[in-house]
Amino acid sequence: MGTPETSREPCPDRILDDVGGAFGMGAVGGSAFHFIKGIYNSPNGMRLSGGAQAVRMNAPRVGGSFAVWGGLFSTFDCAMVYARQKEDPWNSIVAGAATGGFLSMRQGMGAAGRSALMGGILLALIEGAGLMLNRVLANPPLPADDPNLTAAMGGNPFPGLPQAPPVVAPPEAASSSVPGVWFGGLFGRKEEEKKPIAGGGKSEILESFDTPSTPIPSFEYK
Amino acid sequence: MADPRLYPTGSGSDDRRDAAYPGSERRLYNPYQDLNLPYRQLYDLPTSPEFLFKEEAVAQHRSWGENLTYYTGVGYLSGAVAGAALGLRDAARGAEPGEPAKIRANRVLNSCGSSGRRVGNTLGVIGLMYAGIESAMVAARDRDDWINSVVAGLGTGALFRAANGPRSAVVAGAVGGVLAGAAAAAKQVGKRYVPAL
Repeated sequence: MGTPETSREPCPDRILDDVGGAFGMGAVGGSAFHFIKGIYNSPNGMRLSGGAQAVRMNAPRVGGSFAVWGGLFSTFDCAMVYARQKEDPWNSIVAGAATGGFLSMRQGMGAAGRSALMGGILLALIEGAGLMLNRVLANPPLPADDPNLTAAMGGNPFPGLPQAPPVVAPPEAASSSVPGVWFGGLFGRKEEEKKPIAGGGKSEILESFDTPSTPIPSFEYK
Repeated sequence: MADPRLYPTGSGSDDRRDAAYPGSERRLYNPYQDLNLPYRQLYDLPTSPEFLFKEEAVAQHRSWGENLTYYTGVGYLSGAVAGAALGLRDAARGAEPGEPAKIRANRVLNSCGSSGRRVGNTLGVIGLMYAGIESAMVAARDRDDWINSVVAGLGTGALFRAANGPRSAVVAGAVGGVLAGAAAAAKQVGKRYVPAL
């Protein structure tokens, strides 16, 4: 079902968490990378100390770069959430573009524009991958008799998806709007496979913790 | 569109209702209005207390990951702000008379950026080490008290200056341990006046 995400902190504290997390990831990853690189590039007998030296010189710098990127991204994300008063993937995409542009602003507007484009595309890919992952994880392939349960399982976990296909009637998903066709096709096929299985074989309705809901409304722009 | 059952109104809800009348500039927005959540399960809370003992309730409840990101983030941000302040002072000191604004702005940006990055990175690394050692101590001892903080301070200081030789590492470790112990003691004293600590 479409429960709002509750695992992240609310917005101002989220910036602190993201800065810390990004620095940690950069420092630990940078340490590992530069340690191995330092070991590789050192003379025999001085490998470990060469690796440690490379870590001490480079890991804080890598961590700091990650922290700046993560902190700026989180700040722009929270600003978008505050401006639009809702949470959805568009905030992250625009925040990624803004971060990329902001960090290159001293190189002039052309470079800033190119970096903004790269940042936006990168975030769009990440958000898309996250959404696909959520959809796969949130809909385990169980056979279901209950039409309400099937409709509930067909609910989109992130209702604000920019290219959301209508998910109420799965057979119609194949004929949805053109941008959403491949999403809908992915989804429509799974639903169509489930329905013949559910109709033909015997299946037990296990105890469900969801109340049977009214059909999820479609999220097409009116 | 909005399901009235989604707003469990109490007795004092008239003010909120008034705000949604036409003529006022605000509307009530419920982010969950279209999602058909199983709200009965969401808001059906038990009335028994969460913790049986007061000591449990006041103990720290951050997981090791939250501890890590918190200390690292605080360290990096405070270091960045302090470094930027230092850089600002250096830029103001190094300004030549009769310079155009662009040059001054460039000097300010450069020096704030370089000092901020240096100090921020240093404090971020210190925060990361401290949080890592403290979380490891909590996991190993299965207890949360001042010994964890002091040992984490010792370890952080020693690790930070380990490359400068053993003597330097011991001195730095002692400094770190004393600072961490002082911070823990200050927190205990502060709890008397500010209970939220």
